[in-house]
Amino acid sequence: MQEGRTPIPYRQINSELLVSILRSPKWFAIATIILGLIVLGGFSAAGYLVNKGFGVTGLNRPVMWGFFITNFVFWIGISHAGVMLSAILRLSKAEWRRPATRAAEILTVFSLMTAMMMPLIHTGRPWRTIYWIYTIPFMPYDYARGIWPNVRSPLVWDPSAVYTYLTSSILFVLVALIPDFAVLRDRTTGMSHRIYTILAMGWRGNPRQWKLQIIAGVLLSALILPVFVSVHSIVSWDFGMAVSVKTWHSTIFAPYFVVGAVHSGVSAVAFVMIILRYIYGWQNYIRPEHIDALGRLLIVVATGWFYFFVMEILFGFYGREADELAVRDLQFMQNPWNIWMMVFVFTTYFLPVALWLPRAFRRNLWIMSTACISVNIGMWLERFIIIVPGLQNKQVFTFSWYTVYTPSAVEWAIIGATFALVSLLMIVIARVLPLIPLYDIKEYEVLRTEVKIGRVSVPAVYRED
Amino acid sequence: MAATESEHIHHGQAHAEEHGGHSGGHYPGMWVFPNPRQMTRDMAARLSSMPGMMTLGLLLTFGLLVLGIVGFVARAAADGFDDRAPWGYYMATFSFVFMITSGAPVAAVAFRFTKSHWRRPLSRVSELFAVVGIFNIITFIPMMLILPPILNPDTSHIGAHELEIRRTIWFEGPIGAPHAWDLAGIVGLAVTSLFILWLSAVPDMAEARNTAGGFRGWLYRLLAGHWYGTKRQWNAQKAGLALLGAFYFMLLVFVQFIISSDYAQSMIPGYKDAIFPVFYTLTGFQCALGMCLIILYVMRRWGGYGEYYGKSVFWAASKVLLGLTLLWAYHLFSFFITYWYGRLFLEQNVIKYLMGDSYGGVFTANVALSFVIPFLLLLWNPVRRSAWGPPLAGLSAILGALMFSVRMFVGGANSGNVYAAFLDYVPAPVYPDIWDIFMVIGGIGGAAFVYLVATRILPVLSVWEVKEGALYQRMSRFIKGDYLVLAKPE
Repeated sequence: MQEGRTPIPYRQINSELLVSILRSPKWFAIATIILGLIVLGGFSAAGYLVNKGFGVTGLNRPVMWGFFITNFVFWIGISHAGVMLSAILRLSKAEWRRPATRAAEILTVFSLMTAMMMPLIHTGRPWRTIYWIYTIPFMPYDYARGIWPNVRSPLVWDPSAVYTYLTSSILFVLVALIPDFAVLRDRTTGMSHRIYTILAMGWRGNPRQWKLQIIAGVLLSALILPVFVSVHSIVSWDFGMAVSVKTWHSTIFAPYFVVGAVHSGVSAVAFVMIILRYIYGWQNYIRPEHIDALGRLLIVVATGWFYFFVMEILFGFYGREADELAVRDLQFMQNPWNIWMMVFVFTTYFLPVALWLPRAFRRNLWIMSTACISVNIGMWLERFIIIVPGLQNKQVFTFSWYTVYTPSAVEWAIIGATFALVSLLMIVIARVLPLIPLYDIKEYEVLRTEVKIGRVSVPAVYRED
Repeated sequence: MAATESEHIHHGQAHAEEHGGHSGGHYPGMWVFPNPRQMTRDMAARLSSMPGMMTLGLLLTFGLLVLGIVGFVARAAADGFDDRAPWGYYMATFSFVFMITSGAPVAAVAFRFTKSHWRRPLSRVSELFAVVGIFNIITFIPMMLILPPILNPDTSHIGAHELEIRRTIWFEGPIGAPHAWDLAGIVGLAVTSLFILWLSAVPDMAEARNTAGGFRGWLYRLLAGHWYGTKRQWNAQKAGLALLGAFYFMLLVFVQFIISSDYAQSMIPGYKDAIFPVFYTLTGFQCALGMCLIILYVMRRWGGYGEYYGKSVFWAASKVLLGLTLLWAYHLFSFFITYWYGRLFLEQNVIKYLMGDSYGGVFTANVALSFVIPFLLLLWNPVRRSAWGPPLAGLSAILGALMFSVRMFVGGANSGNVYAAFLDYVPAPVYPDIWDIFMVIGGIGGAAFVYLVATRILPVLSVWEVKEGALYQRMSRFIKGDYLVLAKPE
């Protein structure tokens, strides 16, 4: 609910929320060029890697998963913001979700696309990834050698789950966009008008169309939830099913990863909302109470995540198995991992939760931005700390292989480019689609009312059930 | 303020009556708008008289408690407390009662945090379980005697696959672990939940202190203290409820973790499952909410509380119950797939023991009752919207939790040498004898008896919360129909 805000006319909503599309901000070209150059650098590094082979990375036996897989898990995690905010909050009828849903859904799509680039690059020969999934009879090389896709491998479940999630997320975004496309269709000319006309799919806003659109939204929200949970669970099982890597074979990994993903994803969305408010002047729509509500949600999510983290660590020690204790020793006692571990726990839980607890801090956008960035630094480190120390101690008799993984410049360039890519895609899409759903905001304007209790007016809404 | 309040309520009632019991797009009986003045008088009248059903319930549950005591004494006389194996069903009963009764107050705490108005009629039903905390403390005392020591007592003959210190969450064993810590946890939970109940009931007791007579009047005057409903007192009460609620929730998660680990997981050699405490807590929340819904249904159907409990409570709670049911299945699958896919010999034995060869039947019943039946029921909107559907799903979940407690705790008690490094064979299942059956029904009956006694002291309706809710909710005209207007203060 929005506190003490005066009603906003539809005309004003249209003009303010379509500002990112109908007018080109001055900074857009500069930002696009800078981010584009970083992305180009990343793609060049990936090309160099493909050309020269894996020797240009810091990966070596037994640490064959490093920055790329860490980054893959990180971006999959960010993608969990969309469904968390859009589907779950829609089903639970949380009014404050309205301005956050679209940005969250779009961030989901782009982070999933970015995430899926990571394992492709990680293969070294991306074009051969097809053999993980399909056997192609007339493509002789792998088929002739009897290399069949192993459907029992989590590495096959993974792309299946992620692509299902990507497809359903795109569908989810498009269904929600139809009424807004119609608004854009009526306010554009030329080629833009023709494109928006196709995308609006004949939307006229009659009662039947609204009814179908609402039913589709609710149904998709319910249907996407199992996909949402399955995606990060399956990503976690990439690790959990590997019994040879101590600390990975843990039953708690699936929910632990999912809660962690929601934690990082919702923090990322809160940060994106603050940025959008600043650059497009959407103070009327992204209000401190929305960020406050996200902050309160994040306290719960963060504490839930911390509980799973403690369970994971505690039961790591519980078994008192020498191999596992060796990895824990590496993570907690040996430099630099112990430093990373402290930074990770501090930035993921203690710092942000301390910042989210006071109401005044939750409504301070600078403090909220700091907390949200802190969470994502921590969550990136979390995946790194899970992956590398476990692999370093993978096999008992490989002491001669023992290497300290040091990421190369190529890996840094590619990882940096993924952040630039998501940022670039977000600012470009903001030129094409409204990042705050117009119809959702208008619906709230229709449904909002007040209840007078004594001398106090309390914000209220009409509810159907 | 009072005028505005009654205007809203009468406005809603008028519309509801005009539309034959429901308004506009609303379903019949979904929302109720009780009259605040009548509510206080009605609650006082209900407490001052003793309905026949209540007398029957008290007698029946007391009879079951007596049977339980007989079973306990017979078991103790026959087997003593040296071996944990004969006490498997006692442990399972404790776990079952504890997970429900300690989880129930969370329903009030959690939905108060989320400012859900529908929770208001449910709050007191869930908070009254605090009184059963005392019963939990008493029944936990024998559990301390059953628990084997952390250090292997027979250190002179430690076998090849035997441990000097058994696997527990207490590792080398801090002072008093695990017994003292477990007891402290359970006492802490009982005390905290009683504080929450007291703080929540203070306004109602203050209102009734001058009208109630006898023991109740004396108790209300004593417990309500100097409550006069000033703004400062209300603020302090709400802040206290929030702080105590948060503390209770965290303490509950911790205590359920130690109980489930000490009496189930660490009893089974080689069983290392980080998700088990989470799963135990989830099972507790699922059946605690189910139990609250059953009580609400009984009070609505036979207790004359229909005008206070609208279907909206069941409708809203059913969604949470469905979510918990799905989460239950998800956590079970997360455990199963990791163990099953891992193909490690020792883990396969644990699966065969708890889910297959030994307790396979109990496991199947557990999954059917905790997941399949509630899920299939709650999937349907008309069932979720009814007053009977969610409680029926809750009942199924409760029976499922009993199966869960049997396979995990009876399984834990009968898994052989607790100091073994791993489970190198699949132990046989243990079925209950007559004393076990007495202890199971006695434990459940005893908890129910204590709860029923508590309902004779405090009303099962949080009067101040329902009155407050009436200020924030009303029916109002919107375009062509009447709709609920829901206000939420920030």
